[in-house]
Amino acid sequence: MSSTERADGPAGGTEEEFVQEWRNAAYNCYSSGHKFCREVCPVMQVTRNEVHTPTAFHANVVAMEKGLLSIADVARDYVHCTGCGACELRCPNTLFTGDFYRFRTRTVQLVKAVRALAVDQGIHQPGWQRWVEETSRQKSEPVLGGEVPVSQEHVRDWAAGLDLPTGGETILFCDCEGAFHRTSVPRAAAKILKAAGVEFGLMREQWCCGGPAAEMGYVERAKEFARHNVDDWRAVGAKRIIVFDPHDYISFTEDYPNYFGDEFDFEIVLFVELLAELIREGRLPLTNPVDRVVTYHDACRLNKRKGIHAAPREVLRAIPGLTFKDVDHVTQWSYCSGAGGGLPIERPDLTAEISRRRVERAAELDVDTLVSACVWSERPLTEQGGKRADPIEVLDLLEIVALSAGLA
Amino acid sequence: MTATLVTDPVIDELIGICGPDNVFADKSSRVNRARVPAPFPVHRWAEHVPDVVVLPTTAEQVSEVVKLANRHRIPVVPRAGGTGLTDGAVPLRQGIVVDVKLMNKILELDLDDRTVTVQPGINMLKLNEELQKYGVIYPDDPASYPCSLVGGRIGTSGWSLIGGRYGHTRDLVISFQIVLPTGELIWVGDGGGRKVRKSSTGYQLKHLFMGHQGTLGIVTEAVLELVPRPEAEFAAFFSYPDYETAWRSTGALARSGLATLAGVVLFDEWKLAYLRRDDEAYIPQPDDVRCVVATAMYGTTDEVRPGAKRLLRIGKDTGGAYLGDEISQGDWASRHDRYATPLHGRLRDGQVVPMSWHCEDASINWTQLPAVREKWHDIVARLGDRFRIFDDWGMFAYTNAAFKPWGDYLTEIDVGIWEQELDDEAWDAWVTAKRDIAAVSIAHGGSISACHGACRAGEVDLVPEEMGGGWDVMKKVKRVLDPLNIMNPGKYLLDQAYEDGPS
Repeated sequence: MSSTERADGPAGGTEEEFVQEWRNAAYNCYSSGHKFCREVCPVMQVTRNEVHTPTAFHANVVAMEKGLLSIADVARDYVHCTGCGACELRCPNTLFTGDFYRFRTRTVQLVKAVRALAVDQGIHQPGWQRWVEETSRQKSEPVLGGEVPVSQEHVRDWAAGLDLPTGGETILFCDCEGAFHRTSVPRAAAKILKAAGVEFGLMREQWCCGGPAAEMGYVERAKEFARHNVDDWRAVGAKRIIVFDPHDYISFTEDYPNYFGDEFDFEIVLFVELLAELIREGRLPLTNPVDRVVTYHDACRLNKRKGIHAAPREVLRAIPGLTFKDVDHVTQWSYCSGAGGGLPIERPDLTAEISRRRVERAAELDVDTLVSACVWSERPLTEQGGKRADPIEVLDLLEIVALSAGLA
Repeated sequence: MTATLVTDPVIDELIGICGPDNVFADKSSRVNRARVPAPFPVHRWAEHVPDVVVLPTTAEQVSEVVKLANRHRIPVVPRAGGTGLTDGAVPLRQGIVVDVKLMNKILELDLDDRTVTVQPGINMLKLNEELQKYGVIYPDDPASYPCSLVGGRIGTSGWSLIGGRYGHTRDLVISFQIVLPTGELIWVGDGGGRKVRKSSTGYQLKHLFMGHQGTLGIVTEAVLELVPRPEAEFAAFFSYPDYETAWRSTGALARSGLATLAGVVLFDEWKLAYLRRDDEAYIPQPDDVRCVVATAMYGTTDEVRPGAKRLLRIGKDTGGAYLGDEISQGDWASRHDRYATPLHGRLRDGQVVPMSWHCEDASINWTQLPAVREKWHDIVARLGDRFRIFDDWGMFAYTNAAFKPWGDYLTEIDVGIWEQELDDEAWDAWVTAKRDIAAVSIAHGGSISACHGACRAGEVDLVPEEMGGGWDVMKKVKRVLDPLNIMNPGKYLLDQAYEDGPS
């Protein structure tokens, strides 16, 4: 009955194999036809186009089995997903049958699987293909408009002057957007760890986590990055990897164990959870009042994919001087920045509109600052926040903590 | 599929009307707008794929598309949420699907005269997210509340779970703009004033254009009722040792006269057995619990508090045992998620298989409920004897009328169908069973459908019988308003209106 044992993400192979693997999962959506997912989907809220819905993403598999559609007919539709996971949470199938049958609607995995099938069949989205090729060449993502040029030579430029060691038991992994664009985030991360007395080092040679390539369907490329990173960690004796980017957190806790099985025995630490602990234990005194009125943007991959919404709020409430106007994390199931799942590369117009709406929601609360815990969300949100007549500034949670800890 | 009338020049014209970004002729766009949740014979999907899909943004665009369709004699099928449980949105003769989802704006909020004016593509949950900050809500609350759209609610004349208190779609939509089958735009209401709830002027056209399943036009704007956001909600679930007691108690609760009572729902023994067997979210109860009755109240705290006391007393005095706050509040709060919860049913040998949910509904008077129930379960049992792909998931009966919920009940039997194994023979048997179910409803003085619409295969055959002399009026209205049979042709047997050729 349950297809969870087999349908474990991108496997490659023929359309027929793909359909066999996903037919029951697809039918479970098709047969209920609730479509409760639709109005929480950040893409659907903008395009209002039924072919961009999780329902269609599943129904297409049934239609493929019936010979009504082929991968070539639908590959482009599957660009329209940020991988936020809201649809899975809102699905009554997940809510009401999950415990007994260990069943969960897994639209995000299905989308990845279809994208992988498309690539296997030689169907490429031009933007994604260029992005992955460029990532393979530079070993980091071709982050646009960055403060430092993207190359292995410059992958540690963000840490200039911080005197950070290489290697050790604990590694701070810095994602590409942080390394080359919003360098203030990894700098804040490193300063916070040092101030709290957490020993850590950087990788000898850090490559992209591979998550974006995996999400765009280029699974083999993604595995190459993963292999390199794991080997690098192993070579320096690392046991623990700290990540601040939720996308990396997904890669290391979902993709890597899937690639490597038992061999993957690293402890993956999410920065914001460690941060909450450091503050709670008094290891990071927050002494400087921050005179801002803020709301928190629940990072999709933390809130919707991993159920992590308490730690960021605990951190914000610990900052003196801050006025925190919170919006319930369940209400935020339907919020997104639009920056995930490769959407900004193929449909930057949609990313911009999704971000505009998110900033609009923040503006209704009369805040001056939108705090996020996802570095990838911060670029489109910052752009939209800055365009407003009454601008809203976007700060990363680590940036605002660094301000309060006197580390900025 | 028949030869398409939608040629490239027609598509160019559609692009001229709706813009290049809002016309879709690709396979995926068309295949995904062929179906509704249920019942849809998945093995016949290919027969229902439209030729082209448009997503207009204005009433004028909708009007121009319909006029074009008349010029070229192309069928037009309106589509809002596509969440209906009858097949109003399924294209029977291909043609142009007019998908109104992009028309989802709130146009005016009037807190003085208590109305909100919207486009038809807006969803009620989303609308209420905007309204709640003003202390008002639009209380149209179907099981599909998180996904169905206002346009479809009008097209099907929808039923609301809290309609006993606040009314159903027909009571909550004050007036609306509709594109007629020939393309003219008109407003209909109770008389002419757009925000007037009661009028004696002229014919009551609002009702004519409610529940027509897309055969009389496309709604393009609607003025909706606003009610104060309720201060208090109270839900109480009662258990009973047998159906007879539960049924009598349901009647007593419904006749209580409590103005805050939003609805009473009766779960029969089959439903309880099914929930015990296959609904993991159902909180188990002792074996001697055979039926459950659910009730809910809404209003001000001053009304609901004493009303709740009286409701509990009636429940207990008529043989019910209160099931406690956890079940009452939790089950009621999850009422939307729990429609069609299962993604599985069972073969007779106990094997679990993925099944889809098919719901047959009818309006049945309280006195007739026990007899109808026996006959309906027998029909489904006989079906299950012949085909292993059918599974009886039990019955609900909900108080049906608005504001005075005591006389008749939305009665439904839920049937699981293993569609992956569906073939023509099983489908034909299912259609026959649906016809038999409808015949029972009519024989007991009821109506084939309380909320879904009665245009699905099987039951639709009995619509002329139910309507009697009204059936001829329906045909005349259809032919006058839609002389070329453009709007959703093939639905509701309305081809009979043209049997001597188009006028």
